[in-house]
Amino acid sequence: MSAFINAARAELRGIFADQQVRLIMIAALVIYALIYPFPYRAELLRDIPVVLVDLDRSSSSAELARRVTSSEAVTLAQDAPDMITATRLVQARQAYGVLLIPEGFERDLLRGRQSPVAIYADASYFLMYQRVMQGAAVPLRQMGAEVEMGRLIAQGTMPDVARAQVSPAQQIEVPLFNPAAGYATYVLPAAFVLILQQTMLMGLALVATRRQTGTGHPVWNVLGRMAVWTALYTALLPLYLILLPALYDLPFLGSPAAILVLGLPFILATGLLAQCVAALFRRGEVVQVVLLALGLPFFFLSGFAWPLEAIPDHLNWIAQLIPSTAAIDAVVRHGQMGAELSDIQHRLWQLWGLVGVFGALVILLETRQQAASASDPAQQS
Amino acid sequence: MLAVMLREVRMLVTSPTLAGLVVVLPLLMLLILGAVFRAGIPVGLPIAVVDHDRSDLSRSLVRMLDAAPETRVAHHALSLSEAQKLIVSGDVRGAVYLPQGLEREILRGERPEIVTFYDNQHMSTGSLVARGARNAIDTALAGLRLSVRQGQGEAPVQAAVSVNPIPLQAHALFNPAFDYVHFLLAALVPTVLQIIAAAATAYALSLDFGTQCDRQALGRMAGGMVPALLGKILPYTFVFLLILGLSDIALYGWLGVPLRGSLLLMGAGAAAFILAVQLIGALAFVLTRDMGRAASIIAVITAPAFGFMGVGFPREAMSPLAQVWGAMIPGTWYVELRIDQSLRATPFEISITSVLWLLVIAGVLMLLVLAQVLRIGRTERAAK
Repeated sequence: MSAFINAARAELRGIFADQQVRLIMIAALVIYALIYPFPYRAELLRDIPVVLVDLDRSSSSAELARRVTSSEAVTLAQDAPDMITATRLVQARQAYGVLLIPEGFERDLLRGRQSPVAIYADASYFLMYQRVMQGAAVPLRQMGAEVEMGRLIAQGTMPDVARAQVSPAQQIEVPLFNPAAGYATYVLPAAFVLILQQTMLMGLALVATRRQTGTGHPVWNVLGRMAVWTALYTALLPLYLILLPALYDLPFLGSPAAILVLGLPFILATGLLAQCVAALFRRGEVVQVVLLALGLPFFFLSGFAWPLEAIPDHLNWIAQLIPSTAAIDAVVRHGQMGAELSDIQHRLWQLWGLVGVFGALVILLETRQQAASASDPAQQS
Repeated sequence: MLAVMLREVRMLVTSPTLAGLVVVLPLLMLLILGAVFRAGIPVGLPIAVVDHDRSDLSRSLVRMLDAAPETRVAHHALSLSEAQKLIVSGDVRGAVYLPQGLEREILRGERPEIVTFYDNQHMSTGSLVARGARNAIDTALAGLRLSVRQGQGEAPVQAAVSVNPIPLQAHALFNPAFDYVHFLLAALVPTVLQIIAAAATAYALSLDFGTQCDRQALGRMAGGMVPALLGKILPYTFVFLLILGLSDIALYGWLGVPLRGSLLLMGAGAAAFILAVQLIGALAFVLTRDMGRAASIIAVITAPAFGFMGVGFPREAMSPLAQVWGAMIPGTWYVELRIDQSLRATPFEISITSVLWLLVIAGVLMLLVLAQVLRIGRTERAAK
């Protein structure tokens, strides 16, 4: 038991007496909480500039342009005489798409022929592409439907029948959980989990590289450290995963208690992983650089922004060993999507499984380390 | 200066730590990122259908949803609440609800509702699912409208024209294959390299530029403090350029990302980018003269840099302050240049701005580093 207390004391000292560790585990959390969300404060993409190339210059083409520009997503900000000029405006990032209305648009429309228009959307930016396409497609379809209905009614069809013939069913799309498609709402909850993991990994691994081989029983040593992490992060984790999202007005459907239930194995697994990382790389500078470089790959491996279904299987297996993979999924599904703990219990078990595996590994490492330093009297002094 | 450079190369070859950070780590990261995105656009995302109609029409709708490239019908849920549970737990990414009486109401012209639910918390996946479902349902309904018109005696070709008076021709500018791999890897590779190059440079300086004694020895060897510093930095510039080149060969060769612009601009931009990033590391180190604190500065600048590049959420939509912060980070300009020159075939005179910005950033950082090195030298001489 005294080994437990000694280990806990040493870990506390390792964290709080070391300026660099304090900087990473506490100050960096504050700085990142300010910097990471910074680009996404605007949340939504509205009125994306699109160039209009109207080769028809008729009242119908003007009506079409008016409808597109009144949509929420896009606005026809500039006119261009031809596609070359328009493309150049897109290349200079003054616009993100081109609406091309060809010559003869109105004539064909009046003669009952097909009268196509073209949208060229900047596909080098995924989000822009989608918004431009959607923003332009909806008013175009509406106008097309009205034209078809008008023709049917002119042929003597009853208006109700004509409407049903033009659009036999109403297609309704319901976005769940992030109805406004806000970018901050999308990315921040996951990013906060990852920041918590990376700063904790870095700080605790630094403590571990600077620690001298202990004397107490390895199991007590590890338990003592785990107690310190739990105590420290019982304060930090709710601040980061509950209070911070609330400060940024992110929706939260979960309960603080459930976040703590998920947080406990996440914290323990991360702390234990930090010990393994320290044992693998041994030197503080190296640990820091490696973990810094791993942040983004960890984020994309977690299957949050890039779907699991598209990640190769063998890589996915490795990804499941990283605590953030299970934690991001579980915290987002609970906090943002309102999943009950029973819906995500596989993630909870996965995290506890990691605690078991990493725990056994750390105890083994600690035992071997003690044996090595015992057989090497020079190191004992 | 040459002597310091040769010495640095020897150190790189003989020190496993240095070689690990400078060569192995970036290559490993590139390998992981390449593997994550290798498969390209996600296809066959699982969705659920709630088919309360169980008619020929609803069954053909389900078949079309299953056949859409984006989606695959993985579950037949009995109720909406079951479908919701499947979405929440992550078994499926969306659900399509086909209400009872769908076919009958359509035939009677009552315009029933078909509802698509999708998980928009996972926005990238959710929008793919929504698109797949929308297109599948559209196709099914268009088929229905066609058959109605043909039933009225219209010829098939004329019917196809009539149901779609204003067809929308959707074109993707610059990225016709519409592949996310292009888009994400073009930005992720420099972002990760930015972190590693800055940190590795600070680490290399911490080995023998940290103490006064070390600096003076190097200064004597190179014939001045400035050549000594350049001698320490430039060998890594070459190594990182080599790694960037290697990753580009993989990207444009092996993964088949198009390269439609000027190699000269890409090369000049890459060199300016690497140098600027290294100078961030150098500045962080000469300011703190401690690897730990330098790493913290580097972390604050480079770790959140990805968000500011505008690859996910566009820069134009950010607040002015966020745009300014992004503009000060070399990666922002280099990624813009890469996207311009690989996907967009942007004309030289537009794209050159990115390169000029990189040079300005590198120049300013260089001046700051030199000023700090000289200041340290002066205070140390004064202390004597």
